[in-house]
Amino acid sequence: MWSNPSNCRRARADSAGTRARLLPAALALLISSGGALSHEVSSAKADFVPPAPGTYRLERIQAVPDGEVVDTRNRSARLAKYTQGHITLLSLMYTSCADPSGCPMALYTLQKVRRDLEREKSTGSRVRIVSLSFDPKHDTPEVMRAYGAGEAQRHSPVPWVFLTARSPQDLRPVLDGLGQDVRVPADEAEAEKPANLTHMLKVFLIDRDGWVREIYTSNFLVPQVIVNDVQTLLLEDGVKLR
Amino acid sequence: MSASLLQRVARVIALIGLFAGSATAWADETCNSPYVTNLIKGQEDYAYVWTLGVEGLGDGSDKLVTIDVNPASLSYGKVLNSVSVGARGEAHHMGFSDDRRFLWAGGLDDSKIYVFDIGTDPGKPRLVKTIGDLPQQTGFVGPHTFYALPGRVLVGNLSNAQDHGGVTGLALYNNQGDLIQMYPMPTSNGGDGYGYDIAINPQKNVLLTSSFTGWNNYMRNLGELVGDAEAMKHFGNTVVLWDLKAMTPKKVFSVPGSPLEIRWSLNPGDNWAVIATALTSQIWLIKQDASGEWQAKDVAVIGDPSKIPLPVDISIAADGKGLWVNTFMDGKTRYFDLSNPEHPSQTYEKVTGKQVNMVSQSWDGKRVYITSSLLANWDKTGENDVQFLRGFDWDGNALTQTFEVDFYKEKLGRAHHIKLGSKALKAAYVEQPEQLSSRSR
Repeated sequence: MWSNPSNCRRARADSAGTRARLLPAALALLISSGGALSHEVSSAKADFVPPAPGTYRLERIQAVPDGEVVDTRNRSARLAKYTQGHITLLSLMYTSCADPSGCPMALYTLQKVRRDLEREKSTGSRVRIVSLSFDPKHDTPEVMRAYGAGEAQRHSPVPWVFLTARSPQDLRPVLDGLGQDVRVPADEAEAEKPANLTHMLKVFLIDRDGWVREIYTSNFLVPQVIVNDVQTLLLEDGVKLR
Repeated sequence: MSASLLQRVARVIALIGLFAGSATAWADETCNSPYVTNLIKGQEDYAYVWTLGVEGLGDGSDKLVTIDVNPASLSYGKVLNSVSVGARGEAHHMGFSDDRRFLWAGGLDDSKIYVFDIGTDPGKPRLVKTIGDLPQQTGFVGPHTFYALPGRVLVGNLSNAQDHGGVTGLALYNNQGDLIQMYPMPTSNGGDGYGYDIAINPQKNVLLTSSFTGWNNYMRNLGELVGDAEAMKHFGNTVVLWDLKAMTPKKVFSVPGSPLEIRWSLNPGDNWAVIATALTSQIWLIKQDASGEWQAKDVAVIGDPSKIPLPVDISIAADGKGLWVNTFMDGKTRYFDLSNPEHPSQTYEKVTGKQVNMVSQSWDGKRVYITSSLLANWDKTGENDVQFLRGFDWDGNALTQTFEVDFYKEKLGRAHHIKLGSKALKAAYVEQPEQLSSRSR
């Protein structure tokens, strides 16, 4: 009846060399281009009509914790720069996750949400998407740039920002604060080879004040539900939907 | 990128996707929230038993007891760990947080909520937070059901602070233990305001709640209670269907006789749940009709209802084809064939204790765990007051006991709710929850 929550695992590469660096970009390309992976990746399926925007309340679940992040041009910033002032969809991910019901599912779904929001002109520049890697060891700014190039460089009223961190330590306040579990087998934690990362898929809807208002796991990652939730927050902000 | 690299990547993805899919098959009991992750793969290692303290026995306090349930272990069937909360408050039920790093547990009398860290060392749970102000913050009493939502825990309560009757509500906390919102149980359109269990079907955007009774009744001696005709009127008779997204009641079903545990079928494509009623000894089916409207109807009796066997816990098979039912008074564990949920039929029964309450099964259905305590003042007395966790193997035809922990002999208390754990669920990357710990009240 319902799918299991995702436990993502990294796509193994033979080494940390060229092929490993190419793999994330290849994954993103496959998902976005409707390539070989597209038949495996989809959004969550809902057997109900999502309630209309503004007909329900999204609770203030928690404040978003702050931390030090790095953009694709290797510039440091506080995460708060990307979680306040706009309605934000924050996806915690890592680029070589290959579980079709994990990070690729989040990428695919957010692409659909972005297209839908672009058609709603009143969205204006009020909404953004942020993908933040929790695997800074392998997801360098260079890797994130390659991974997100297709979306980050596309002109859109809904900007999409790709971030990573300088170290796992920089991320810990964010991951702990948001309850994003990430597990590494102990024998691989310090190894140079790519590790298996097991985590629960989570995408966070954050309001202009930096409060988490909804959390989407694999069961909840339904594009129309997300769009309606974003529009519910827009209505809260006094935006008239067209 | 070359076509050959794309093809290679696609093959890697397909292989890993297959591996990941097989690795996430549930091996835990089937009654967890669908939002609970980090699923046990294969044999469970631990049974966590939330245990009522007994005055004069050990330290007399409620405690979380960890028992080795892996047959391959040298300490199989032995107590590994016990965490006392330092108070006796009618320990009752538990529930995992969505990331399965924490186990929330409640006391029906003192209304305290305890949060145990089971991610740092699954074999040695640690009490990291106590929420002691539920009545003051919400007006509710008796936190019973702890049901994970993403980043949150929805708590189903049994009573209220004003008159200790059965009118109550749901309290929503974030995973840090901060109260987010309250949702009163409906008292109009057929609603009696009572609460008990919570069960969610995400694909249908549906939440079901059931109804028991208030503090005045569940803290009273059972013999006195059943002799008080007026008090016996104060049991829940409703199941409420909620719009999950909006958290608003949509429909109230009349289900007489205190409907307790709710189990959705986990079989893909199924759109029904079953509920057992305590006082009328029936199985009810909640299902969509041909027009998509949700309906409720009684579909089977459990034992002889005139003898009030008192169905307590139920456990549904992963494929939705079978249901374990424990009946407290006669100490029986019964198996119902659910192949046709419109007509469940009992196919097996065994006396598994002089009194039995909770029943949990592994995902493959091969292992069944049973405990003995219902409520401190409802448990049997004298030689019938046996307190245990018993493990059984189920071969499809018979239950065979494999181990027993005598909770009185071990000076632990009354064994109540069971949750399963695994060594593999040790958190390794995320720092330990000092932030949460420091906010303990």
